Amino acid sequence: MRLSKLAVVLLVSLMVWPVMGQVIMNRNLGTEPPSADPAISTDTTSIEIIEHMFLGLVDLDEVTMAPVPELATSWDVSEDGLTWTYHLRNDVYWVRYDTAVNRVLQETATLPDDAKLILSEPARELFVGKDADGNNYVVAQRADASGFFRLVSAYDVEYGVKRTLDPNTASDYSYVLYIIQGAYEANTADPTSPDFPALMDAIGVKALDAFTVQFTLIAPAGYFGQIASMWIARPQPKWAIDAYGDSWTEPGNIVTNGSYAMKSWIHNDSMVFVRNPYLPDDLWGGGNIDEVHCVMIVEESTAFAMYLNNELDTGGVPLSEMDRVKVDPVLSKELTIRPFPCTYYYGFITTKAPTNDVRVRKALSMTIDRQTLIDQVTKGEQLPANTFAGGSIFGNAALDPRIAPWALPEKLGGWGYDKALTEAQKLMAEAGYPDGAGLEIILMHNSGQGHAVIAQAVQAMWAKAFPKARFTIEVQEWKVYLTTISKETPVENMPNVYRLGWCQDYPDQNNWVHEVFNPTYGNNDPRMSPDDPQVGAAVAEFDRLTTLAGRLSDPEERQRLYFEAERLLCDEIVAIAPIYYYTQIALTKPWLTRHWHDTPHWDTWSIDAKLRAQMTGKG
Amino acid sequence: MIQYIIRRLLWAIPVLLAIMVVTFFLARAIPGGPFDFAGEKQLPESIRKNLERKYGLDRPMYEQLGKWIWDGIRFDFGPSYASRSQTVNDILKRTFPISFQLGFLALLFALLIGIPLGTIAAVKQNSPIDYGATFLAILGVSMPTMMIGPLLMWVFAITLGWLPTARWGTDYTQLYLGFFPNIFSAKFWLHAILPAITLGLAYSASIARLTRASLLQVIREDYIKTAYAKGLPARRTIIVHGLRNSLIPVATVLGPMFAGIVTGSLVVEQIFGIAGMGKYFVTAITNRDYPMIMGSVLVYSVLLVAANIVVDVSYAWLDPRIRYD
Repeated sequence: MRLSKLAVVLLVSLMVWPVMGQVIMNRNLGTEPPSADPAISTDTTSIEIIEHMFLGLVDLDEVTMAPVPELATSWDVSEDGLTWTYHLRNDVYWVRYDTAVNRVLQETATLPDDAKLILSEPARELFVGKDADGNNYVVAQRADASGFFRLVSAYDVEYGVKRTLDPNTASDYSYVLYIIQGAYEANTADPTSPDFPALMDAIGVKALDAFTVQFTLIAPAGYFGQIASMWIARPQPKWAIDAYGDSWTEPGNIVTNGSYAMKSWIHNDSMVFVRNPYLPDDLWGGGNIDEVHCVMIVEESTAFAMYLNNELDTGGVPLSEMDRVKVDPVLSKELTIRPFPCTYYYGFITTKAPTNDVRVRKALSMTIDRQTLIDQVTKGEQLPANTFAGGSIFGNAALDPRIAPWALPEKLGGWGYDKALTEAQKLMAEAGYPDGAGLEIILMHNSGQGHAVIAQAVQAMWAKAFPKARFTIEVQEWKVYLTTISKETPVENMPNVYRLGWCQDYPDQNNWVHEVFNPTYGNNDPRMSPDDPQVGAAVAEFDRLTTLAGRLSDPEERQRLYFEAERLLCDEIVAIAPIYYYTQIALTKPWLTRHWHDTPHWDTWSIDAKLRAQMTGKG
Repeated sequence: MIQYIIRRLLWAIPVLLAIMVVTFFLARAIPGGPFDFAGEKQLPESIRKNLERKYGLDRPMYEQLGKWIWDGIRFDFGPSYASRSQTVNDILKRTFPISFQLGFLALLFALLIGIPLGTIAAVKQNSPIDYGATFLAILGVSMPTMMIGPLLMWVFAITLGWLPTARWGTDYTQLYLGFFPNIFSAKFWLHAILPAITLGLAYSASIARLTRASLLQVIREDYIKTAYAKGLPARRTIIVHGLRNSLIPVATVLGPMFAGIVTGSLVVEQIFGIAGMGKYFVTAITNRDYPMIMGSVLVYSVLLVAANIVVDVSYAWLDPRIRYD
């Protein structure tokens, strides 16, 4: 009896042994990722997990946001800016977490006999050949006498981009790729029509050889480098997608090439990622985390409790705990607040009285005391916003007091609130509403505690500035709200002021002022029109500038045009009142060292396991 | 009796069909479609058209209604719009057992607390015990779960460290017969205590109040007096003769209560990070995820109809004077 017990103990410790050395990070994703498919994802959670599973052609620098090599080691842009050629590395494997043997394996392939040898080194032989149906190229490295390992190739990039643009994929973000020649035509075609295959073939993305892919654009877009870093333009594994259909992103099915591979995904509960041992060393970010265990706790206070209980290595701070965390001797040291590329703003409907008068809009924008709002209500050390795009976006003019200086406090070179208030009251009187007499404004936001307290604070500021006016707040459920403020709603059903936020898809003004506000190509929720009697000329100029800037490649020229566009939008037309630039608020345990990419890069993070064991009393 | 049950089951068919049709029109009557926006971004017309074509929303209304009902009859709802790598059936298969386990334990807790509390309160009517029990019951009804949950978590998980903070204690993928947890696992029970109490507390309070009121009525009946007069001990009189008859109102509310509680609670599941189906009743609607709306509504309706049939049948057992012929 004794002996068998001992044997069990020995056996168990043997089984636990290999696990002991593993460095595990516990992280809360905050929600179930709606998708792990690069072609159809749109939200930050999905993008965070995709970032780790799929390499981009390029990555974005942590600080400068400039494209840096990832899959592509170099790229050339033609003189006219229309042709972008990316040269890929030849040593990245496709991998899959095999649930039968419980580890990450390289994807294998069978190559036809006539496969062509394209590279022969002492240690590696690379081949390219067509697969069994003879349609697709497979690039692979000889593993042994009979087998091959699949390599990430230019063909996979071409397939990935075309799959995103295929209307059958129904990708939400495919429109971001419309800058590629033929992309719009293919994406909007009827997939049952006879000329559809020809349209797909005509898309301007082409694998020139196994490791060179070329994009042809419709205009020399200076921001294409950033687009090439996006998840929608990543290589995708055609054979896995063909085999499993929509469920190809489930664990065991999913084939990836990034720093981590998906070990398990229990929807709405948890995911486990393990380090990809086949990733080339120089693509690894230098961290030491072998496994990332993600939970999906929606309730912020619960996640906060788990963080305090050392069940999470990093977490957020619920607004209600913010004051406490800032004065707590331990937690305040674990707190990081940094800028995050999103902007919170109020938009004005420029076709509805009385916000059809630019003086009213300007006066309302002036009397939002942004710094007080941040200090008293949002509490996350956000920055007051005077422009639409925040400080990390290419072409931004954030915090430049030449634009809407009333929004900035004196210490940032702005007017400060007192001066803004006096000027606003003058303007409002000029517009025919002295002290707000006769002014009726409807402010609408979608339901949500955070939006409600901000709206109430702004309402109070406005009421104080214009005591004789009436400010009404209306609240609608999210999708109803979005329908209300969209173009199709007749103006009498619209509010005067609406709330929205914007977060970057790629760090370039084209994604901001152009896609959101351009009167011809963008959403233009404020309904700016070149026919506006007061600011029509400015609207026409704004339209021209943002369109033109998207087609140029000279960075300085683009910068200049976007500066002017921001000035028109926020200071002259005053279509929006930017309120604040977001911050990311994170608590990090002392044993976790992390970098601060806008999309986390776990492979750059490290955990001091010894310190953790000391501080928590467990391993 | 058998005939009665069969008749009730047959009646359930038109009821469920009507629910499907009404749900179809209600779901589509809410402004805003499933694919108008990605996050805060209004999608271009071309993108929306691609999505609507993929999910058959470009078909004529009557065709969509027909498919909707056919899907409902087969209990196969197709892919979820909000989580495109999963079907609604995948989601229900995974989340319903979890909600059922939690709900069942919570209901068990509610009955184990509620019925004795109500009985004691009735027997000792107008005594301090009665007032104490009534006070507890009112407290239980009026304290919202979103307050009790974090409170219990704070005390028992964070401060005392006796119980785990959050999440459910079973491996979601390894349930017996795809439904039952390993009840011999301490992990399961430790994780279940706080959420089950949080969810069960409000129910236990209403059960206690109902039991008390009903028992008070029953113990004034002649047959109880007869039992006393014949010298039956008080305990036996109350428990065997009084309580059983007083449970009819309790059983009546227990039917809908059961259907509601085992299909999950948004608040409790969210507070404790439990991947149950409670949240889908809400998110399916906010996402305009039509197939998910249909799936969750049908699961609830079927349970409700079934629970009501069971309740009606149980009347005959609780009160032998009731007969179904």
